[in-house]
Amino acid sequence: MAAPVVITEASEPHADYSRAARRSRVLWLGKGVAAYAVLTVFAAITLVPFLYLLSPSFRQSYELLTFPPQWIPHSLYTGNFHHVLHQTSYPRWALNTLIFAGAITAITLVLDTLAGYAFARLRFPGRTALFGLVIATLMIPTAAVVAPLYIMISRLPGWTHSGVNTYPGMILPMVCSPLGVFMMRQFMSTLPEALVEAARLDGAGEWQIFRKIVLPLMKPPIVVLGIFTFMFQWVNFLWPLVITTTDNMKTLTVGIASLQGQFVTDWGVISAAAVMTIFPVIAVFLIFQRWFVQASMAGALKQ
Amino acid sequence: MAEILIKHLVKTFGKVEAVKDVSLQVADSEFLVLLGPSGCGKSTILRVVAGLEDADSGEIVVGGRLVNFIDPVKRNVAMVFQNYALYPHMTVHKNIAFPLEMAKKTKAEIDSAVRRAAGILGLDELLHRLPEQLSGGQRQRVALARAIVREPQAFLMDEPLSNLDAQLRIQTRLELIQLHARLGITTMYVTHDQVEAMTMGHRIAVMRDGVLQQIGTPQDVYRRPANVFVATFLGAPPMNLIDGALEAVAGGGWRFHGRDVDVALSSGVLSPPELQHEIEAHADVKLGLRPEHIRIAAPGEDGGIPGRVQFLEPVGSDLYLTVEAGGGTVQVRTDPDSPLQTGENVSLLFDAARVHVFGADGHNLRRDAPRVEAPAELVEAAS
Repeated sequence: MAAPVVITEASEPHADYSRAARRSRVLWLGKGVAAYAVLTVFAAITLVPFLYLLSPSFRQSYELLTFPPQWIPHSLYTGNFHHVLHQTSYPRWALNTLIFAGAITAITLVLDTLAGYAFARLRFPGRTALFGLVIATLMIPTAAVVAPLYIMISRLPGWTHSGVNTYPGMILPMVCSPLGVFMMRQFMSTLPEALVEAARLDGAGEWQIFRKIVLPLMKPPIVVLGIFTFMFQWVNFLWPLVITTTDNMKTLTVGIASLQGQFVTDWGVISAAAVMTIFPVIAVFLIFQRWFVQASMAGALKQ
Repeated sequence: MAEILIKHLVKTFGKVEAVKDVSLQVADSEFLVLLGPSGCGKSTILRVVAGLEDADSGEIVVGGRLVNFIDPVKRNVAMVFQNYALYPHMTVHKNIAFPLEMAKKTKAEIDSAVRRAAGILGLDELLHRLPEQLSGGQRQRVALARAIVREPQAFLMDEPLSNLDAQLRIQTRLELIQLHARLGITTMYVTHDQVEAMTMGHRIAVMRDGVLQQIGTPQDVYRRPANVFVATFLGAPPMNLIDGALEAVAGGGWRFHGRDVDVALSSGVLSPPELQHEIEAHADVKLGLRPEHIRIAAPGEDGGIPGRVQFLEPVGSDLYLTVEAGGGTVQVRTDPDSPLQTGENVSLLFDAARVHVFGADGHNLRRDAPRVEAPAELVEAAS
């Protein structure tokens, strides 16, 4: 048997200790620097287009086409924003977009959580086939259904007039998101069955289980789905372009596109409108981003 | 408080027959433990009684009422889950109050009931906390409080201690025993831990592959196992089994022959007609011996089974020896101060009155061992 090692305060540190410690610290620092370098490159790639958009919005139009291109404006010219707010229907478009994206988000959340719960937790004949069908619709590109959708909305049976240029006509075809149904189902499937069973034994009915147990626990994915839906619909272009023809029903994206003249285009004004359009999206994201990382299930169950 | 009666319960999942014609009775205020390895159907029985699964056939009677077609909540039984199943977004108070809220009790009623349940389980200080802020043992107590707050007729507990660490498990086990003594609520308790079963149950029902093997008091099941499975499932280390054959001896009597083993069997202990049948069948039988019923022969003592010490396992209070003998290994419990070393030759002696002999079909041939379970009789006796 080896003699036991006696550790006393007076014991000399191992000869190699300080060298090994220095080497470990250098390695640690090196890894950190490398990680920051890679992240900086990707951040720059992401940010440059935004800066490129921001710059012309603060410049007069005659400054825009200089060569070599100027990144920093001479003076902060705010006339473009003024123009957008007062010379175009921007406020009306913003209102339309808010109604469009907001209503779609709200209805989508209701439908998708309910459908997700049904697919995840209820047993009914044809469940798998139906879910497969929902998923299959993911493979159909929006562009392929735009024309038939337009025809349906413009001649809806029972409607006294066409759904073109109306909020219901704009909103209804967009409210079903198969991706959302899929996402909700996946998250709800991860909820422990025992929670639902416990609630059932405690006397909760199906609706109460959904309302009081499942929904509160689904908060993070619901918020995430809500943000995604809102951001996607805020900048949705194709469907609003097709279904709106009058200026006062246009959404922001369609409105901004209409600022492009046939002969003359004021890029400063368009840039200003674009900046004002993406700002709310960024704000929404920043406000709710903590939900993206929140794990609400911690401590629910000992796995 | 209620009696639970299970009559000829059958439950299948697809092609898997999880419970095969099980009948048993849990008396009013009894603590019955369903014991068996995983997948033996014990949890399924509990879930069928709770109403989380429907029986394929058979009757479930709780408190004299057939509950097969009654909603889980109206069966008035409370279940405690293995993973506690606390609602993570609700405080302890809300968790405990949930069943009462669902029952539309008034706020005052709920509050007093929650405080009473919390008092019984020592949760008064924790009512405002979330489950994630509790330790494993505290979560388990919240789950129990949620179960008792409704004043159910029966408790159904599905391995409630298996997620706790060893020390906490022992402590919570005692708390559960005390809780049962205090409330006297009929309890069905599922576990695969034989120590839990032995210490907690008034009676133990041993299950295997969906079939009830034996039901009886812990002592009964341990001392008089009905078959090889029960004999080896209960006890740690398990009962030793030595393969061999039976032989009639001139002058009346039997001997057991195995490799290096040749012992006379006591006719007072073993059941003569069945033994006779095994002898005529020339079938292989097994000799069963608990580790605590074997001792190492002192030098000069004759007539033991020769063996060689393979391993020593000191557990503090005892020393377990693994001895190569009788064509296999035999575990022996002995004095922890024993000077024996690995590789030593020993001779094993045992008390002939403690011997079990298992027939070719696995059944115990002892005179006092329970015969094959007769569910029909049991059900008749119960109803």
